[in-house]
Amino acid sequence: MELLDLSLISSTIRMVTPILLAALGGALCTRVGIFNVGLEGLVLVGAFSAIVGNHFTGSLFLAILFAALICVLFSLLFAYMTIGLKANEIVVGVAINFLALGLTTFALRAIFGVKGAFYDKEMAGLPKLDIPVIKDIPVLGDIFSGHSPLVYLAFIAAILLYLFFYRTVTGFRVLAVGMNPVAARSLGLKVTGLQVLAITMCGVLCGLAGAQLSLGQVTMFTEGMTAGRGFIALVAMMMGQSHPLGILASSFLFGLMDAISIRLQGFSLPTQFTSMLPYLLTIVAMFFVKEKNRAGGNQQSSR
Amino acid sequence: MAAVRELCKSLVQPILAVMIGLLTGAVVIAAVGESVVGTYQEMWKGAFGSFYFFTSTMARATPIMLIALGLALAFRAGVFNMGAEGQMVLGAISATLVAIYLPAPGIVKMLVGIIVGITVGGLWSLLAGYMEAKFRIPLLISTLLFNYIAVLFASYLVSDPFQDRTGSAALAQTVMLDKSAWLPKLFAGMSVHAGFFFAIAAALLLFWVIRFTPFGYEVKMLGQNPLFARYGGINQIKVMLTGMFASGGLAGLAGTVEVLGSHYRFVDGALTVPNFAWTGMMATLLANSNPIGIIFTSILLAAFQTGAMGVERNTEVPLEVASVIQAVLILFISAKFSYDWWKKRKVKGGESHGAA
Repeated sequence: MELLDLSLISSTIRMVTPILLAALGGALCTRVGIFNVGLEGLVLVGAFSAIVGNHFTGSLFLAILFAALICVLFSLLFAYMTIGLKANEIVVGVAINFLALGLTTFALRAIFGVKGAFYDKEMAGLPKLDIPVIKDIPVLGDIFSGHSPLVYLAFIAAILLYLFFYRTVTGFRVLAVGMNPVAARSLGLKVTGLQVLAITMCGVLCGLAGAQLSLGQVTMFTEGMTAGRGFIALVAMMMGQSHPLGILASSFLFGLMDAISIRLQGFSLPTQFTSMLPYLLTIVAMFFVKEKNRAGGNQQSSR
Repeated sequence: MAAVRELCKSLVQPILAVMIGLLTGAVVIAAVGESVVGTYQEMWKGAFGSFYFFTSTMARATPIMLIALGLALAFRAGVFNMGAEGQMVLGAISATLVAIYLPAPGIVKMLVGIIVGITVGGLWSLLAGYMEAKFRIPLLISTLLFNYIAVLFASYLVSDPFQDRTGSAALAQTVMLDKSAWLPKLFAGMSVHAGFFFAIAAALLLFWVIRFTPFGYEVKMLGQNPLFARYGGINQIKVMLTGMFASGGLAGLAGTVEVLGSHYRFVDGALTVPNFAWTGMMATLLANSNPIGIIFTSILLAAFQTGAMGVERNTEVPLEVASVIQAVLILFISAKFSYDWWKKRKVKGGESHGAA
């Protein structure tokens, strides 16, 4: 078996998608000054509701829509607790993760009457999309063509988010809220509204991430199937400095490590070290890049 | 009288949160078409129904309590230590290896194991604290990252160099500890072990430290008002680092007693799957970082979990009902947190003398 070949890049792109989508959602929250630890739970809810939507409507489009909707509801709960009731966002995030794990497993039993995993061979996964011209180009075609629509959507979302942050007025306002809410408010910006908007968008993105996980990669749901990907997304977000393009790069790194560590199982190398690498890299990276606006505020917000 | 009223006031919120949690649980149970009363009866039986179940609950509460106490100290100093999981696992693996390979009589193995477990957990936590103090790398992030590194490293150790190769199945675990190094059980045939006493002792010690020592006062001041603490000449970094070491050490102890007292070997995932670290954090939040309160909240959360196991054995309701109840409970506890803080601020603005 080869260690590095084209299918590695192709599987990296697949692995990257849920992490990238969730990390972009997390970045939106961070940019309005809210650190969302609940990404893991939101993605899990998205994965589950995508399967539920697909099961009952039989339409993939509606399933994805349903996943996004349920995730938005969950993130509105997050928004209400953190902004409305001024609860500590980290505590709420942790609680959301627990709630998501509990409720999805519970609903798995209640709706499908199964334990552990739900699998239906009738159920269709997301289709593989071939891009007309690119698929005929020998090397590029193998890499870039034939992924699920959500994969392409994720990359488009990263670019759109970049344009949103740095090319639109609302984007600038969102950034202003994150940098200094008090100043933003005194300028007449609707801080709360913008924060809720960002959290809602985060819900949509996490819903898509979940849908890719449960419909794009395996077409099934298993208990706790996110397996820490939400936290990895959180790390990717930090490493990318909440900048959409930075996140694109850092998510790629994590996806590549993921793909390599699966590949390495064929060799007799310990996979633990390859899995560890992204975290080590993030720590090393943090020595060099520092967010100026976080450094001071962090200790305060931790109360 | 004022003290009694103060105590009642501090109890109202947690009790209310527990009620809301149980109510939500009831809704969820009703949704799967089971009897609410019957399920809660099973839960009670599973947690406290017999002496055996009671001791199982205490055994489960032991690591939760130790982790919660450590986190309480960190929270009080105003630092959010999210790395309890890594500190616990790294402490546990070090203690296990020492207890297996140290050429000494059993009791020495055990004691050295415990000391090493505390030290390693503490140092791992201290490293994150040092990085915050020296390089301004946010603790919140570094502790979270350190979890993965610690868990993966421990997983590597037990699946390669120190793996138990005596059995036929190649599980990722170390060999069994020598029987003489085991922590004694409190009752024959019951799962609660001497680690439970450590947890209670740690709670009392922490209560004493916070209440009656200058260090406790410094921690409190730093957590409540860092600017005032700095003005008062408190070495902020020293207090933070000490707090981090102690909190990591307690997490390390939690992992160590779990290995020495109930698994007798380090099994990959045995400490992370039951979610001790996050449950410990919930226990701290529920008790508002009060050491004595933590004794009760840890037992309460452990009871939900052991109770839910009973529920799953005897009814159609899945185990995860406990996660739902716990999560709702925490949601409402955290809402109270800042509400209190907000109220205090208003009072401060209105009149000059403090209520406390």
